[in-house]
Amino acid sequence: MKSYHFDVMGSLMISNFGRMSRFHGGDFTGIRFWYMICQNAAENREPGIMIISYNWLKDFVDIPTGLDPRELALQFTTTTAEVEDVEHVEPNFSGLVAARIESVRQQAGEDKLKTVIVDAGKRYTTLSTAPDIVAGSLVMYAPPGATVGGHTVGTTDPQGRAAEGMIVAGQGIGLVQVGANAMFLPPSYRPSQSIDAAPFDDWLIEIDNKSITHRPDCWGHYGIAREVAAILKRPLKPYDVTPTSDLQNGLPAIPIEIDDPALCPRYSGLLMKGLKAQPAPLWMQVRLALCGQRPIDLLVDLTNYIMLELGQPMHAFDGERLPNIEVATAEPGETFTTLDGVTRTMPDHTLMIQCNRKSVAIAGVMGGAETEVSEGTSTVLLESANFDAPTVRRAATAMGHRTEASSRFEKSLDPENTIAGIARFHRLAAHELPDLQLASTLSDCHPSPRVPHPIELDCDFTSRFIGKAVTPEEIIEILERLEFKCERRGAMLRVTPPSYRATKDIEIEADLIEEVARFIGYNAIEPALPRVSARHLEESPALVLEERTLDYFCVGNEFVEVHDYIWYDDDWVKTIGFDPGECIVLQNPAAENCPRLRRTLIPGLIAFAERNRHHLPKFQLAEIGSVFEPGHDEVTQSQHRRLGLVVAQQGRKADAEVWKRLQRILDGWSQQVLERPLQYQATQATQPWEDAGRIAEAVVAERRIGRVTILPLAIKQKIDERLKSWSIAVAELSLTAVTDLIGHHEKLPTVSKHPQAELDFSILIDASRRYADTRKELAAFEHPLQRRVSFIDSYEGGSIPAGKRSLTLRALIGLDDRTLTDEEIQDFQATFKRFLKSHDMELRGE
Amino acid sequence: MDLNQLEEQLARIKAEAEALRQEADGIDALRSAETRLTKGPLADVLKSIKAFPPDQRGPAGQAINKTKQEIKQLFADAQSRLRQADVVGEQKKTATFDPTLPPPITQRGSLHPVTAVQREVERLFRGLGFAVVGGPEMETDFYNFEALNIPEMHPARDAQDTFWLTNGWLLRTHTSPCQVRAMERFGPPIRVIAPGRCFRYEAIDASHENTFFQLEGLLIDKDISIAHLIAFMKLLLREVFGRDVKVRLRPGFFPFVEPGFELDMSCMICDGVGCATCKKSGWVEILPCGMVHPNVLRYGKIDPHEYTGFAFGLGLTRLAMMKYGIADIRILNSGDLRGLAKADRLSGATI
Repeated sequence: MKSYHFDVMGSLMISNFGRMSRFHGGDFTGIRFWYMICQNAAENREPGIMIISYNWLKDFVDIPTGLDPRELALQFTTTTAEVEDVEHVEPNFSGLVAARIESVRQQAGEDKLKTVIVDAGKRYTTLSTAPDIVAGSLVMYAPPGATVGGHTVGTTDPQGRAAEGMIVAGQGIGLVQVGANAMFLPPSYRPSQSIDAAPFDDWLIEIDNKSITHRPDCWGHYGIAREVAAILKRPLKPYDVTPTSDLQNGLPAIPIEIDDPALCPRYSGLLMKGLKAQPAPLWMQVRLALCGQRPIDLLVDLTNYIMLELGQPMHAFDGERLPNIEVATAEPGETFTTLDGVTRTMPDHTLMIQCNRKSVAIAGVMGGAETEVSEGTSTVLLESANFDAPTVRRAATAMGHRTEASSRFEKSLDPENTIAGIARFHRLAAHELPDLQLASTLSDCHPSPRVPHPIELDCDFTSRFIGKAVTPEEIIEILERLEFKCERRGAMLRVTPPSYRATKDIEIEADLIEEVARFIGYNAIEPALPRVSARHLEESPALVLEERTLDYFCVGNEFVEVHDYIWYDDDWVKTIGFDPGECIVLQNPAAENCPRLRRTLIPGLIAFAERNRHHLPKFQLAEIGSVFEPGHDEVTQSQHRRLGLVVAQQGRKADAEVWKRLQRILDGWSQQVLERPLQYQATQATQPWEDAGRIAEAVVAERRIGRVTILPLAIKQKIDERLKSWSIAVAELSLTAVTDLIGHHEKLPTVSKHPQAELDFSILIDASRRYADTRKELAAFEHPLQRRVSFIDSYEGGSIPAGKRSLTLRALIGLDDRTLTDEEIQDFQATFKRFLKSHDMELRGE
Repeated sequence: MDLNQLEEQLARIKAEAEALRQEADGIDALRSAETRLTKGPLADVLKSIKAFPPDQRGPAGQAINKTKQEIKQLFADAQSRLRQADVVGEQKKTATFDPTLPPPITQRGSLHPVTAVQREVERLFRGLGFAVVGGPEMETDFYNFEALNIPEMHPARDAQDTFWLTNGWLLRTHTSPCQVRAMERFGPPIRVIAPGRCFRYEAIDASHENTFFQLEGLLIDKDISIAHLIAFMKLLLREVFGRDVKVRLRPGFFPFVEPGFELDMSCMICDGVGCATCKKSGWVEILPCGMVHPNVLRYGKIDPHEYTGFAFGLGLTRLAMMKYGIADIRILNSGDLRGLAKADRLSGATI
């Protein structure tokens, strides 16, 4: 058997067990846990899975005996909601009987072990570690000769100590929710009475809660059974309840006052006397446990049982303390102590249950500590109400306290269920408690019952919308099977949904068409491509730019595309000594160390480089991703697309090589994708990954679009000493900054019919002088013969004097209409040399 | 000069030719030797023909021509032998060249698996007349929820565990915000797809990521039906996988479509047997879809009485996993090249 999210609740229960003494002396402490069990321990999130018992469904529908539950689950999946899993559970025991505990004696020197004497028709002395057994309790017992979990029980325990038979622990017979506790039986059992194994033989159908958030009627077995009945075309049995006429008995009604019926459409209540703390019937305990609820005692189990059956949460108040009920909004800043002992400040507009204007419960969320049922209480006020879904959800979410009750109320429950819930409770409770008496009439405050709201359904449109011809008769048959009322006028139907579908689920024509289509069967609709209108929709240039950029780097060049998360890892940021500055921050980060949205791709790319260097001698990474800038009013202005690049190679002397490779590839990108030259200009290093001497800004179309650098030694030392033997160049460019350049096309040059002359010039400049500055000066040179001047080479060392650098430039000169004369060529040469000299550029070899 | 003297002279020239041929060490030397002979001694003898009596000029001319042809042939043969020797030499030199060797280890580029799959889907839909559009990853509540018929206190927000930002915005939980953005931008009729990154606040394991890709599709036109939706979805999967894929369509609830569907495909990691990726069910939810809810059309300022349409949200990340057999989703955002690119691309050819 699997354990679900309920496990956490189970442990919550166990931790509170010290305060509980169960089932002796008419104690009601178990009630304390009623809402607690409704509380989902996975903070503020719904339980993920609803478990449906096949046996339970069979209470309401005659399911053909030959039908495999897995086949039914499949039909349910394709008609209603996805079944995640179907699991068969079987009894793993035989020969179990009821036994009354006569005495319990703690074993000396043992923490948990007790010597227990039981009466199971015959007196047995056994050992038990069950934490909560006391003399007088009736429990499930395995006498010698019985089998549990494939083992025959004898007269010694597994350690070889004398122990006649054993007291069965819930988990030992497959009820994980019960844990190591004993299985308690109601007083109707007589010692030695054999235990019926039938409830333990069941199929469990698991449904993801997320798939039924729109179906409040499916949050209980009866609603699921209704769908199953419609799928199988079998009748749904009426819900077995005490007739309401029997509950309207001439006794005074509970005074109920609702301040705003919009927030609480209905509040029903019933005062009952003669309740006793005793275990629920075994079949009920087994169903609850199989469906993930831990059995507590009859009163708690009944409310849970009806919640799982009808989907209607109820609350039991101490009837002596509540002479009347008011439903009102909390005072601003009001604090309230719930029955889990936690005092919370009520969020604004929280709906409260009050008595004489004093709060006693948070409507639809949890009851209060003061009015909880306690020891000695025998009068209970049973609340069965209907609350406004957003109000409950807002309150539960704001106080971070989602409960099983609030999860159901926020789905917009059917107000008709308040009465059904009470009547069902009474039916089941009266069966178990012969002394149960009513202390009030069935009290019901329902100020403005919902008026049924018929929806027009056009049968012709239905066929067109589904894409399959459906006759009005077929439509009516399906809708009536689902208890919708149909009035036909030709091809038009006036359809009134049943109350349990009318709260939110079914509102418009399309909702009705869905009902028709899913029962026709989606897989019975023949696929067909539509006729559509031709229209050109302009694609965004940003996407074109990204596509071409990725193609360039990752298809045309040797870059591997990577994706990083969009938030900084604070630990990593600290490691590399990066100050992220002001960032857009997550309220609920994926982990504590990643609350900030990134403003640069580089830290993540460096982390990737560090990760990969362990496995590869060289690699190149490219990422296109979003960065997020605080301080803007529009989301679209606050995020930009960036390109991040890494060129990494083992070998500490490869710095120049990786730099050149990165530059060469970037140059190609600019030429091919943007059709513009990319130039560099000097700048200051501002980030830990930027090297003071080896950092440049990339400039395209006179826009500074990004930065290129070599990782300096200092950052490598911070990351890992061994990174010193690597050479890594990184670049980050803004794609957003050049998006509008896409689509620009440079004209191709005309080829002259007359020969051109190429003249090379080598100049000496100070090695510290940046090419970017030299280029600017050279750009000022103009001459009528000049077609272009290009950079050929830069050279240091060898015959070049120390502190100097030689730059080789090539001038291409020519005319379109004739060949140049020698004089013209010489004149150009002389003019250009004069220009160079006048700008402190010494000509080599002159 | 008489004929005998001529014969002697010609014999000397031939001997010289033979000597020159033997001396020549290459094609160029042969050519120049031949030229030297034909333009030098041979041309001289030809000139001397005038000194013969007229009746001997014929035989003399014939003798000279014959020698000329012989010399030409001699050099042509020599050239041919040399060329042949060169060829043999090259063949010897390349005898150990192995054209079957793989290239030395180099880096090769590689698109991210998700991008690669995205490209295929884009190509398919462009062919069907869809435009590719984008949308912001950081979104407003309005586009991510409100305009998609998910008001503030709607329980469906639970299904979209949301990353909220302290500035009141959020990280989009799906690409569906692109629906209303596209409606606002273009008006009907519309055919667009919007691939992009989405974020959900959930724990990461082998089959769950908090950061993943979807591809939204939206078609709005007159008289669009569920049958049309199904046809598009089947076409999509067939094109992406290159064969018919086993699918099932079942009800799914998304407030921005009515009716809504889940399209499951048979799990390709385990061939439908059941594995961690498909949560042991054999089926993978890959295509939530549905008919655009009238309220959403209204938010997009489109008249729901005039236009209907369908929308889908293809799980691109999951599709990439199916297509490339990636069993652990975590590899996709890991930057670990060993898992992101084929090994052959990173460290040389596999033996």
